Amino acid sequence: MVKSPAGQGLRARDGLLGVVLIVPAATTILAVMIVPLIFAVFASLYDYKLGRGANLPFVFLGNYKRFFQDPLAIKSLINTAVYTAVDLSLCLVLGVGIATVLATLRPRLANFLRAIFTMPLLISPIIVSLIWRYMYDPQYGFVYWLMRSVGLGDWFGGLSRPSSALACVALADVWNVTPFIMLVISAGLTVIPDELYEAARIDGAGAFRIFYRITLPLLSKVLAVVVLIRGTDAFRVFDLIYGMTNGGPANSTSSLSFYAYKAAYQDNEMGYAMAISVLTLIALVALFGPLMRNSARAAEAGK
Amino acid sequence: MTAMSSRALSATVKWIVLLLFGLWTIIPIAIIITNSLKQPLDIFTASPKFVFTPTKDNFVQAFVQGDFEKYFVNSTVVALVSTTFVIGIGTLAAYGLTSFGFRWANWVANTFLVGKLVPVISMLLPLFVIFQKAGIRGTLAAPIIAHVALQLPFMVWLLMGFMRDVPPELEQAAMIDGCSKMQVFTKIVLPVILPGLAAAFILSMQYSWNELLFSLQLTSFDTYTLPVGIASFTGAVSVNAGESSAAATVTMVPMVVLGFFIQKYLAQGTTGGAVKG
Repeated sequence: MVKSPAGQGLRARDGLLGVVLIVPAATTILAVMIVPLIFAVFASLYDYKLGRGANLPFVFLGNYKRFFQDPLAIKSLINTAVYTAVDLSLCLVLGVGIATVLATLRPRLANFLRAIFTMPLLISPIIVSLIWRYMYDPQYGFVYWLMRSVGLGDWFGGLSRPSSALACVALADVWNVTPFIMLVISAGLTVIPDELYEAARIDGAGAFRIFYRITLPLLSKVLAVVVLIRGTDAFRVFDLIYGMTNGGPANSTSSLSFYAYKAAYQDNEMGYAMAISVLTLIALVALFGPLMRNSARAAEAGK
Repeated sequence: MTAMSSRALSATVKWIVLLLFGLWTIIPIAIIITNSLKQPLDIFTASPKFVFTPTKDNFVQAFVQGDFEKYFVNSTVVALVSTTFVIGIGTLAAYGLTSFGFRWANWVANTFLVGKLVPVISMLLPLFVIFQKAGIRGTLAAPIIAHVALQLPFMVWLLMGFMRDVPPELEQAAMIDGCSKMQVFTKIVLPVILPGLAAAFILSMQYSWNELLFSLQLTSFDTYTLPVGIASFTGAVSVNAGESSAAATVTMVPMVVLGFFIQKYLAQGTTGGAVKG
């Protein structure tokens, strides 16, 4: 291509235009996301309480030290990890299972059922928590009614026992977000060529063998995306806990986000709360950062 | 076991699985909707009551006597305004990052993606203090600004995915015909990425409509959104089951209806085109 002086001039001007187009988004992200996060890191080094005035005691890493010595904080960290693991594995099994079953149906019926099954995904988590509070009501709730009718009424602890509350919250989340996994896996399944399945069937492979040898490996990239999106969401859980249990009973459902919220707004320990939120962010980047790099690379390569 | 009977068995299992999953999906929704139409006496029964005389009292209580009409208006404003900004600013930035051959564009996009990891609580606490000092906490602008900022990085990344799919030949042809870069944007790029814009619009509306944590602390009594109003029920000692169910039903139905039309965008949108259906 011959470079003319006019073309050069046009290109320089276009380059400027490109930068100008990016400026509004970059400014917003910088001002409302990055600057506040930096502010949070700074504030977490102070014994910061709202309404205390200008003279804040500088405690350096004191708030972080406190986190690791605070049994409730550690409990919240463990709860968050357990919740994420339980929630994610249940969602994955159910979502992949339903998507696989739907793929064997006639397309029109499958699409209809998929639309029905998608409904919970669009409901706000705070409404999900309201719904499931009614489901778990010990006297009038549907879950208890079901448990009583199969003779497990006394055994079932619901939201009122520390041993079962976290699992019950996770189950409400599974109800809420399994459709997401179903949708993504369904989309992923349509890309797998039918010839592969036919060849396997001709070789005499059974349904389970085909699933493990063909479906799962070919879905691995899609599964990575799902684990990333769902895993980070579960690790940040707040709404369901706020709405269903308020962290109880006996702090058995307190998550990191919830504990930070409580420290900030119930105990007025803003500095400590910011330290907890910073640690939550660090944990998220450490846990899911590598997966994110892979997915970003895959998305670019796929273009 | 013969091949025939094993096939019949697996077909039976398949239908049982679908039936159970259908019940698991529908029962909780059906319960909240029927509760919203029931008198208290019909709600508080030891076993589920299927036959009852419907009443509109709960809706009247929540929306006419209560404040939910106001919350509904607030939520609509917050969702529409924040979505307009997210799509407007986001589309421009995505075009700037894909169509000008900047070498650092992909780096920026991937850095943006890290924004998806930021917990709401990490942004809420500093924003709460900053907005308080700036005097905008309690106004509708506070949740709008927060929603825009939290969504932008991911939406830019998402829209970039759709823009990379626009054939470069199309853009080049338009340039040769004398179109400026901005004309290429409005005449070529925007029409081609319309499905992407639809996905972004719906995802952003849904996020903002359903979002609780920012709105909970950044709004005040007059600017509460629907999720905050519903959260006030879950905090109460004795919940008004009928009224809360009516409020929840009106809040969830628009999004659920929307979901019927856009389920294919949901998968494509949230995974940023990493999954193509």
